[in-house]
Amino acid sequence: MTYNMIMDNTTIQQLQHAVDSVIRGKREAVKMAIVTLLGRGNLLIEDVPGVGKTTLAHALARASGCEFHRIQFTSDMMPADIIGVNIYNPESREFEFRPGPVFSHIVLADEINRTSPKTQSALLEAMNEKRISVERQTFTLPDPFMVIATQNPIEYHGTFPLPESQLDRFMMHLTLGYPEPEEEKRAVADQAGFERAAQLAPVATREGILAMQAGADAVTIEESVMDYLMRIIIATRRDDRVRLGASTRGAQFLLKAAKAHAYYEGRDFVVPDDIRRLSPLVLGHRLILKTRKFISDAEQVIQDIVASIAVPV
Amino acid sequence: MPILYKAITAVLAVTGCISLLMTGELNLVMCVGGLALFPGYYRSLKNYPQASRRAGAVLAQAALLVFLTDAFLISEDIFLAVAHMTITFQGIKSFDLKEPWDHLQVYFMSLLQLIIASELTRALTFGVIFVVFMILLVTAMVLSHFLKEGALGRVRLRRPVISIVALTMVFTSLFFIALPRTPQRFIGKSHYRGIKTIGFSDKVDFGSFGNVKLDRTVVMRIELNRAVPPPYYWRGKTLDYFDGVSWRNTTRQKSRIVKLADEFLFSLYDRDTAIVQNVFLEPIDSDAIFGLAKIASVNTDTFALTVDDDMDISMPGRSSKRVRYTVYSDPAGFYAGTGEPKYLQVPPGMSRIRSLAEDVTRQAANDGQKARLLENYLKGNYTYSLSTSAPPPGMNVIEDFLFNSRKGYCEHYAASMVMMLRSVNIPSRIVNGFYGGERNDYGNYLIIRQSDAHAWVEALIGNAWRRFDPTPAVSLQRQPAIALLLDSVRMQWTRYVIGFSFSDQKEILRKMTLPFRMKELPRVDVGVFRTYMPALSVVFIFCLIIWYGATVLRRRKYGFVTAGYLELREILKKRGYRMTDSSTAGDIRDVTQASSIAGAVYEFVRLYELFRFGKKQVTPEKQQQYERLLVQIRSSKR
Repeated sequence: MTYNMIMDNTTIQQLQHAVDSVIRGKREAVKMAIVTLLGRGNLLIEDVPGVGKTTLAHALARASGCEFHRIQFTSDMMPADIIGVNIYNPESREFEFRPGPVFSHIVLADEINRTSPKTQSALLEAMNEKRISVERQTFTLPDPFMVIATQNPIEYHGTFPLPESQLDRFMMHLTLGYPEPEEEKRAVADQAGFERAAQLAPVATREGILAMQAGADAVTIEESVMDYLMRIIIATRRDDRVRLGASTRGAQFLLKAAKAHAYYEGRDFVVPDDIRRLSPLVLGHRLILKTRKFISDAEQVIQDIVASIAVPV
Repeated sequence: MPILYKAITAVLAVTGCISLLMTGELNLVMCVGGLALFPGYYRSLKNYPQASRRAGAVLAQAALLVFLTDAFLISEDIFLAVAHMTITFQGIKSFDLKEPWDHLQVYFMSLLQLIIASELTRALTFGVIFVVFMILLVTAMVLSHFLKEGALGRVRLRRPVISIVALTMVFTSLFFIALPRTPQRFIGKSHYRGIKTIGFSDKVDFGSFGNVKLDRTVVMRIELNRAVPPPYYWRGKTLDYFDGVSWRNTTRQKSRIVKLADEFLFSLYDRDTAIVQNVFLEPIDSDAIFGLAKIASVNTDTFALTVDDDMDISMPGRSSKRVRYTVYSDPAGFYAGTGEPKYLQVPPGMSRIRSLAEDVTRQAANDGQKARLLENYLKGNYTYSLSTSAPPPGMNVIEDFLFNSRKGYCEHYAASMVMMLRSVNIPSRIVNGFYGGERNDYGNYLIIRQSDAHAWVEALIGNAWRRFDPTPAVSLQRQPAIALLLDSVRMQWTRYVIGFSFSDQKEILRKMTLPFRMKELPRVDVGVFRTYMPALSVVFIFCLIIWYGATVLRRRKYGFVTAGYLELREILKKRGYRMTDSSTAGDIRDVTQASSIAGAVYEFVRLYELFRFGKKQVTPEKQQQYERLLVQIRSSKR
């Protein structure tokens, strides 16, 4: 799986292995979730319920030795339900901040499109700035911090799909899909994934994760590979099918993700493969197409673009 | 698409069109479509959106209609109509350049234009354009190759382009030298109209040289084997019958001369004393062979030559092509003849001339003296002038010259002398040809121009035709040195490119085999070598150092890495793996996974990525390993 081993990525492999043992047949998705974690990004999973979104997030949190919270979004949820509230403490006669579920290392924001834009943006702001301001007080969110948000693409009634400007804040967009029949059979026979996730022994520590994130940041990118990345970004803006192409932030995320992916593979340098591989996942949800709406269509557009761009040799 | 590529396409298209226009044979109105090239390529270079296919197709169909009209109504020549059409097509195509394929079409069209132009002209400028065209075409091909490979912008192009251009030049030259030359070089209808000459046909109107005498067009260039003292009379056509208005050659009988061992032998001669004239005739509309009297032998690539009683030598048919032939002349020889009555023919109304001739020749004892007296009389008593007017009514041209205007040019002098000779019973005839010529010291040859056209007299003294020239000498005007230098380049072009013949091929072959013939070792002048050897070796070493330095400098830090990787892609492509521009190293790993070379490819690609993108120090061992892996992959079985 890994080649060009420059650095020791045993911990990453162990992480992958541990999460794989809980959520079966989703190696790719797990890998991308780890890459997002390493790249200090946030993940958007768009899929139908019951394919293991929660299990994935929980298992990743457990295995990496991090704190985990799940927020089930509903239409009546208020921002305070996420970020926390100031509560009057009669004993100290002061208002005390009671942190909300967002104060966690890995936050699963389940069905984020069910809640009102107001609540959505509260989470997304927290996610972006890594800190929260409540009544002149600022609270820093724990580090590492990662939001795994899920959306159900099938249901539209009574939902508030995330606008593109909000989608742009997620590093990657994934779909899980159903597992392979053989894997699914085993998953059904096994005990519930969530339970197994809860029993998972951590293979990494919070400090370990932070060190790996720093390591991913230090990955280098050669000039021509950077040019390749930019050519892809620019091509998304020129494609006939696209109304709005990838933003500069999109390019930044692609670079970060590519570095994290390289780090995952045990390299301290980015190769064009990293970029090509990640482009659909990182850029797909950022494009606004002229015709169809689904992110999977945009990913196809990206695939086409990538297939038309010469790779540096 | 890179701007350089587009620019080269534009230049190629323009070059093709210019090569056609330069011939001067086209109807400019029919070439108006070519003007579209400028906006077309401007748009292309500025990356403006290109015209739709349909618009191009509609215009092309319209151009085809114009072509038919042109071919059958306007030019009435399919060949020229095709030339016009290519220009129009180039104009249309310049608006529709989307794919590399479109550019290829432009190249093809330009090539076609060049081929057509080569049929229409023989000028040196065409040679220059051709060389430029070839360099551009090769560059464009190399570019389009790299474009297809997706390596454009990442591969240094200068070296491949220069080396391929150089190789092309070398091989084209070799091909040119080795291409079989047919002895008959007058195959097919030529579209090149020759230089219009006057005076070298079987019927010449009197007074026609007057116009020609001011025309500085070069008619031929002649190399002499040794210093021959002037005057040079380049004999062309003889004329014997004068009807008062025009001269004619009444000899009907022409005999075909058969080639004997490369030459047409007319009379025996001594090779050692013969004047050898290498004549490079420009395409003129005459079939005459020119040379110094007495022409003993002619060497040319044609199948046959004809000769008549007057020793006029003709080529079979008018060539209208550049012709090269060698004339061997016997300077001491003369044409033998008998006093046939036709050489005494005088038109009616020449009685005044007879009395004048008798007056002039009264003191002469023999025919030779008579002729000499007449020659001197004409030379001394008449004024040379090109501005003559028509004779007054009731007077013929000769009478007008002798008694009335008393001025004229060579034709007047020569015709008068012949008439006077004939009236005193000396058989005589007019000879039309060229006189003198300008010596060009660059290249050491003579330039003969239209203005050197001349008429003189041959009179039968005893049984030999003797030459007399009653025309007074006219001062020559010299050309500036630069014009002569340029002309010598044209001469080389004519000599070695246009006129390259079968005999030249034989000569090259002979020289190449010389070292292998024991008896005939080449006599190399060692002194020359000794003088130039040090300088040459210095230059050689200098070039070597420059080349080496450039190679080292040009070798990029990771030059061998990318080169090896591209080669791997080539190998895999040949083995049927799908490789596109967007194929990555990872793809290569994936597609070869099931094959026997998987291990080697895996390791090679790993090293490639490490060297290329990892900015890692490449040790010699690693480089060796890299290159060894490539060899292993290349030599593995499919």
